[in-house]
Amino acid sequence: MKLITHNMLTSKCMKGVTVGYPLKIQAVDVKTSEVDFNPEFISRLIPKVDWNVLCEAAESVGFLDDLPRELIENYENDVDFLKKAHRVLLEVDIINGELVCPETGRKFPINNGIPNMLLNEDEV
Amino acid sequence: MDGNRSKNYEKKLNKKAKRSQHIVEKQTGIRCTDSVTQILAICNSGLVNGLSEDLVFESFIKYGPLEKIKMVPGKSCAFVSYKSLESAALAYNNIHGKLNIAQDNKPLHLSFVESFPEDLINKYDMPPGLLLLENFISEEEENRLLQLASFDADIESTTGTLKHRQVKHYGYEFRYDINNVDKEKPLSQEIPPDCSFLWKRLQETSNLFFEPDQLTINKYKPGQGIPPHIDTHSAFEDPIVSLSMGSSIVMEFRQDNGSTIPVLLKQRSMLIMSGESRYNWTHGITPRKMDIIPTETGLTVEQRGIRVSFTFRKVLKGECSCNYVNKCDSFLRANGREIQSHSAVKLEKSYVHDIYENIADHFSDTRHKPWPNVVGFIDSFEAGSVLLDVGCGNGKYLACNQQILKIGCDSSSSLVNVCRQRSLEAYICNCLHLPFKDQSVDGVISIAVIHHLANTERRLQAIKELRRILKLGGRALIYVWAKDQYKDEQKSTYLKQDRRNRKGKHLTPQTNTDSITITENNISLPVHTNRTQFQHQDVLVPWKLKQEKLQEGDKLFLRFYHVFEKGELEEMCKDLDNVEIVKSYYDEGNWCILLKKI
Repeated sequence: MKLITHNMLTSKCMKGVTVGYPLKIQAVDVKTSEVDFNPEFISRLIPKVDWNVLCEAAESVGFLDDLPRELIENYENDVDFLKKAHRVLLEVDIINGELVCPETGRKFPINNGIPNMLLNEDEV
Repeated sequence: MDGNRSKNYEKKLNKKAKRSQHIVEKQTGIRCTDSVTQILAICNSGLVNGLSEDLVFESFIKYGPLEKIKMVPGKSCAFVSYKSLESAALAYNNIHGKLNIAQDNKPLHLSFVESFPEDLINKYDMPPGLLLLENFISEEEENRLLQLASFDADIESTTGTLKHRQVKHYGYEFRYDINNVDKEKPLSQEIPPDCSFLWKRLQETSNLFFEPDQLTINKYKPGQGIPPHIDTHSAFEDPIVSLSMGSSIVMEFRQDNGSTIPVLLKQRSMLIMSGESRYNWTHGITPRKMDIIPTETGLTVEQRGIRVSFTFRKVLKGECSCNYVNKCDSFLRANGREIQSHSAVKLEKSYVHDIYENIADHFSDTRHKPWPNVVGFIDSFEAGSVLLDVGCGNGKYLACNQQILKIGCDSSSSLVNVCRQRSLEAYICNCLHLPFKDQSVDGVISIAVIHHLANTERRLQAIKELRRILKLGGRALIYVWAKDQYKDEQKSTYLKQDRRNRKGKHLTPQTNTDSITITENNISLPVHTNRTQFQHQDVLVPWKLKQEKLQEGDKLFLRFYHVFEKGELEEMCKDLDNVEIVKSYYDEGNWCILLKKI
């Protein structure tokens, strides 16, 4: 699971959960895998991302490195910044672990890089 | 002694009569009076006691010309109106307490009343949508047509004597056992060409463009009739026209609220039933030997002769879409079949989710080629957009357009694993509960997914989830399998994949005889024959392992599908808030809709 995906996932479909965001990450196994860098794509993607959530997620899995916690001005033209963002958004890959609902503590397993967000009938 | 007894009898009678008068007043609101009027109420007998209009007519006409008779539906009273006070008084004196035709051969109790009960609908009104064209044909034409209707000449399966009358069918046989026509089996005998002049005349006289393909000839002897009925909605189009020949007859039209309108179908008249009168009123002919008919000089009785009616109808292709849903077999069938939610969950688990887990590898091997119009949609997003593929399968659309971010999800972990192996980003979830933030994506696709949900409520819920996660201005593309795989004379790819379907203009319709009953939920679903037109909306479609013949003992995988009727998807989306339908189209055997969040 990439952190860009985590940036959008919630547990709000569960009964009794109002926001369900962001999900906590309890990572067991994290890898990085190389993805082609496309500066235009990344700079257009960044405004769609919740930056704080991204930074906290990156930090919780130990891959924040020196990514600024605040979005810098004119980042579109800062290739160095875009590369760091690219790495955190697309290259960090949670292989095994759990996603945890911040309101109920319900755990969603991540196996082989795939989060299982299925809910039981009595949870919806 | 005698005098005393008769006095006592009169006293008793008057007491009883007073009691029944009260009941009449209470039931009908008509006031009884001691002074002589032209109108008499029969206070202690009516339709519910088995008193017939015929018997009333017969008994009361003896004392003078009658104006009207009213049998009150569901009540034990009736009203008779004379042309003169004298006749009414004479009838009172001769019938009241003397004529023993009430229940158990008791005497009738009469009373003079102040007014005659009028129907809500004036008796000269017609049911809405009913048109009667008198003298539609000449006597000569009548004779010519009657010659077509000789029942003795040929006895075949399309001719028969029903309990109440003789019938003969042309074009299609109307089957009384199923109350419908077998639309796939037209008769070799079409409507005789001698009838064709009738359509031209309908057009000239009433501006009605009508070319029927089914004719039923009914022959009624005096005393025969036809029970009240509505012609099966799904069998025929609107209108239905009927030509009366040989003899006049009274046909009764009834509505649920009890309104009854007798319509005199004169010899050589053409009756046109359309709209409400066709879909919402029953029509029938009471089996009797005479009809009581209102004329300018009062009620008269007319003896029935042999009546022959030609009823022309056009067989309906597809299902009825009228608004009279309580009377509509198409509507009731479609909605009665609706699978309840708790069963839907189990059905989707056993016949969708579990099946995909089992067939995932083979399914993935056969799903390489993305559909061009879906790719076109994905390519229409600008760089940096976020697109979610709900029901991504093996991820064939996740590999398109490198300028946007694509994430997939599917309920099948095996298929999501395939995505993962292809380095595509995907997770496992159910499309009814997307674990995505509100307003988080620019685009979403749902290709061949929603047809796996077992009822309308769930299918709608899936569409609402797509809407929820879309940003304002975001767009959703939905594809569902169409019931009709044969559009504009073109076979869909699905049908063409069977070699036998490639040649020849028409498909051989196959009737599904197999059906599987899912015992725990008591749902019975037909098993579809692959590469043929669908016969039902809710079906189980077999998954066949390609290139390999099924060996005995091999497991046959059945997937649940709800195939969509034309307009069904659009109808579901039409009333949704915050979305507009950008485009709705048919693409290779699928109904497709493009929505925009507003």
